[in-house]
Amino acid sequence: MTSGTLIKPPRLFTSYERRHRLIGLAFAIPVIVFLLAFVLYPVLYNVWLSFTNASLIKKTSSFVGIDNYIKIFSNKLFLKYFWNTIRWTFFSVLGQLVLGLAIALLIARPMKGGTALRSFLLIPYVVPAVTLALVSKWIMNSDYGIVSYWLQQAGLVEARQSLLAMQGPAMWVVVILNVWRSYPFPMLIYWAALKSIDKQIYEAATVDGAGKWKTFLHITLPQLKNTTIVLAVLRIIWTATYYDLIFMVTGGGPSGSTTHLPILIYQASFGSYQIGYAAAIAMILGVLMFACIIFYVVKSGLTED
Amino acid sequence: MEKGMKATKIKTGILVTILVVFLVVIVGFPLAWMALSSLKPGTELFTIPPKILPQHWSLEWYMQAFSNPNVIRYFLNSLLIASVVMVVDMLIGTLTAYSLTRFCYKGRKLILISVLAAYCVPPIMLMLPLYKIVNAFGMPESHIGVIIAHLTVTLPFSVWLLVSFFKKLPKEINEAAVMDGANEMQVFLKVELPLCVSGVLSTGIMAFIMSWNEFLLSSVLISKESMKTLTVGLANYISSTHIDWGIIMALGTITTIPVIVLFALVQKYFVEGMTAGAVKG
Repeated sequence: MTSGTLIKPPRLFTSYERRHRLIGLAFAIPVIVFLLAFVLYPVLYNVWLSFTNASLIKKTSSFVGIDNYIKIFSNKLFLKYFWNTIRWTFFSVLGQLVLGLAIALLIARPMKGGTALRSFLLIPYVVPAVTLALVSKWIMNSDYGIVSYWLQQAGLVEARQSLLAMQGPAMWVVVILNVWRSYPFPMLIYWAALKSIDKQIYEAATVDGAGKWKTFLHITLPQLKNTTIVLAVLRIIWTATYYDLIFMVTGGGPSGSTTHLPILIYQASFGSYQIGYAAAIAMILGVLMFACIIFYVVKSGLTED
Repeated sequence: MEKGMKATKIKTGILVTILVVFLVVIVGFPLAWMALSSLKPGTELFTIPPKILPQHWSLEWYMQAFSNPNVIRYFLNSLLIASVVMVVDMLIGTLTAYSLTRFCYKGRKLILISVLAAYCVPPIMLMLPLYKIVNAFGMPESHIGVIIAHLTVTLPFSVWLLVSFFKKLPKEINEAAVMDGANEMQVFLKVELPLCVSGVLSTGIMAFIMSWNEFLLSSVLISKESMKTLTVGLANYISSTHIDWGIIMALGTITTIPVIVLFALVQKYFVEGMTAGAVKG
């Protein structure tokens, strides 16, 4: 935003100007108080918790230094869950960006009912995760699920077996479900970005005899580079920390094959009540995400506002 | 030459149609299957092979679902929490967006960046601290804790969306009002707000949807059965050992329909707001 859109009072009236600034700040006080009390303070509190042996079942807790962190890294399973987090995040983000871009390219073409189609394709964005979870558990039900039935008929899955109960495929199933619910956001952003690309560049390319594929590779993709970076960072943050879907579909199973760090944090908190330990896992995830947030804030261009 | 081009055009047309149909099926199938399952009587729900359409349409699962008094409670709880979240979001969000887009003061940029950063702070990071805070203040017996928790998720989003609506207003309007001697509050209430009513309302409805859908924080911050929200109640049903599929499909359907209807109402503004300034490339 340029400073031209702000109310600039006449220079002479400095007292007015000062009053004007104070009023501007006053309008923002509620949000400042809220963010300090319920976002910043909790985040700092989490940092403190991670250095204590706090527990939900005992009243007192004491400072234990980096004990929780040592405990995490000496746990052999942690590496497995960390790797699960990376696989879950990487394939979910890759899937939703590729699908989002593909659909954006499709709906960016002028066609009959295009707006209606776009609206329809946005629906998964607002479908509650619990809805998706219960439907997928139903269609994957080993006895009566329609998708399980198809897979069993095709011989891909044994009789009375479900993909959700199989260690290898379970992760792929939750990734696919996650792509289903999260492609609309990239789709929308790519769609807007595609519309903003200067048409003249394409015309010039057509005159030069470039084919469709070449035009896409050498003109469209480079134009979408920054959009893609910002989208990827944003989606990495939201995916790596996203708990609901895996919890409700597989609960982290079978045998921990879909357990990722958010599930681990939850289990440590409300399964074994070791909230100091849980806070330390949250910190590890948080530091990684914080790096992403900084990167995002800088890349989003807001700092130059 | 002419004929060749026409042939390619028809080919592309067919390809596009196939893709569109494929997408619509992929997106629509899970939701349609849920709704259809909820309308099948017990004898048809568990047949092999599964039939697509019910032979006899039945509302028995809906009757059974609503005969449980807790289900009605879940509904009212979700409605109450989401409505309060929506109103608070609209109030604080509008004030903030007005401040951020119309005034020039030290720290303005810092607030803008903080809001954006807060937007990226995920619920899983806030879960434990909020749980401790809510319990320390003895709030698990009320919905205030959950409402605050939902605001941590929805408020930064609302501010972000609202800023994009306020930015679009022409500055000349309020400059003229200032010249006429109106003060900032008058400009805000009488000039700016009426111009972005649709934006503010649609942001509020998006906040409502997010609150209605929220699961993790609601599940952690509410322990009493009678205070649970719909998503938490439903999740309990699907993780229980005996799963009553018919009832679950019915509940899933009635949880999802309001969300889709509300989204249909506001999605035009949502698309406008998100694509205006959401992710600047």
